[in-house]
Amino acid sequence: MTLSEKMLKIDRRIIFLMIGLCTLLPLLYPVGLPIKISAEVRGVYDHIESLPEGSVFFLSIDFDPASKPELYPQAIALLRHAFRKNLRVITLTLWVSGTGMADQIVTNVANEMGKEYGEDYAFLGWSPGGQAVIINMGQDLYSAFPSDYSGKPTKSLPVLEGVRNLKDVTYMVSLGAGRPGVEEWYVFGKDKYKFEMGGGCTGVMAPGLYPLLRSGQINGLIGGLRGAAEYESLIGQKGKAVAGMDAQSATHVAIIVLVIMCNLVYFSQRRTSRAQGQLG
Amino acid sequence: MIFLRRQLPLLITLITGLLFAAQYYVPHPASEQMLTSATKWMQIVGGFALILGVTSLFHQHAVKIKRQEAGWGYSFVLYVGMLGTIAVGLWANGKESVEGAMTAFGWVYNFMMVPLQGTMFAILAFFIASAAYRSFRARSREAAVLLVAAVIVMMGRVPLGEYLIPLSGDVSSWILNVLNSSVRRAILIGISLGAIALSFKIIFGVERSYLGGGKE
Repeated sequence: MTLSEKMLKIDRRIIFLMIGLCTLLPLLYPVGLPIKISAEVRGVYDHIESLPEGSVFFLSIDFDPASKPELYPQAIALLRHAFRKNLRVITLTLWVSGTGMADQIVTNVANEMGKEYGEDYAFLGWSPGGQAVIINMGQDLYSAFPSDYSGKPTKSLPVLEGVRNLKDVTYMVSLGAGRPGVEEWYVFGKDKYKFEMGGGCTGVMAPGLYPLLRSGQINGLIGGLRGAAEYESLIGQKGKAVAGMDAQSATHVAIIVLVIMCNLVYFSQRRTSRAQGQLG
Repeated sequence: MIFLRRQLPLLITLITGLLFAAQYYVPHPASEQMLTSATKWMQIVGGFALILGVTSLFHQHAVKIKRQEAGWGYSFVLYVGMLGTIAVGLWANGKESVEGAMTAFGWVYNFMMVPLQGTMFAILAFFIASAAYRSFRARSREAAVLLVAAVIVMMGRVPLGEYLIPLSGDVSSWILNVLNSSVRRAILIGISLGAIALSFKIIFGVERSYLGGGKE
């Protein structure tokens, strides 16, 4: 077996080891390369920044623990920003398997920012139906969620004062890892009930949401861990996303090097076989 | 019987399809009230669908265990996991914590479901790297274009890439905003037109496969 053949048939455990090291080493020894802020992420940040105190900010945490590494830092950064701006924060989830995690995220950030449940924020929990929940909230929020996650009647929560349905929401962000997520919130929510909306999603989903962004259907998009890192930089509270960017940088470069290497070997092998064919 | 099995569902589909398509354009309170009621029904039906799904899953795996088919051990683990979670969930009244103290349900969620799902997603990175190495080859012009675009976007999306090739960030942004957006939009328009055509076919009874293939 020639060297090029060996290279093409490399043991996948070597690749796994390489990726493992590229993830682990930058986490242990961070470099902290500067992160450039994109217009997509700035769109969400600027809109929240422009909201007056007491505006109704709606955050739909539409993901489960599988997407936690990318979307959890986004949720933390957005909540920190919203609480710092003294917005009225209303949260919920359309993913049943994300309910406990969403509750933890909201509670932890609220405690960190010294916010009081019911007065400054609320977590409505989960309700079955996916997009039907969005339409139902658009018609009547209290019909979709008669009680919050802890069982308190939603009508008794001061934070929801003056909020009858989605038309009373000032700004809404859906952090989605699939369906229902950003697209459903746009189609069944924003398009009918006319509130301003931004989105957040995993890295692989982001290219699919660019048409919504370019047409102004959403005013900003936080894509993947990179988007979360940009948002953390914007609010000046660097967290897990910024820490993870070095690891992501290293793994991206490692994969690119592997792909280029494989192609070089492939072309050299093809050239050799063609030359042999001509000789034969 | 044919009326109940065929004509009645077609009639319900026709009436509700036309009614709710028109409802979107009628902002009258009565029309809005109708939508509120219908979506509430949909939520309730959604809840029952969940029960149906769990029941079907239980049945499927019970058969596998009973017949001791290949991999029945996994079905047994699924049974234990699901019954155990349902039991602790009912015991804890569906709460992960009560007055700050974690319940057994919360423990299952935090220390089993969260790390397991996270691990499943994380190992994808390893498989993607291995698959990219083996299969991402410029065998044709189209594959070469895809390869170059992928490399630029991957470089432009991470700080190290932008540091090594400063132009990669702007080029990556252009690819996503212009090329990707326009192609995605074209696909979306195509899908939407198809969805509209299919909706009309279902509403007017041309497409009937959703009724099932039972004997008339």
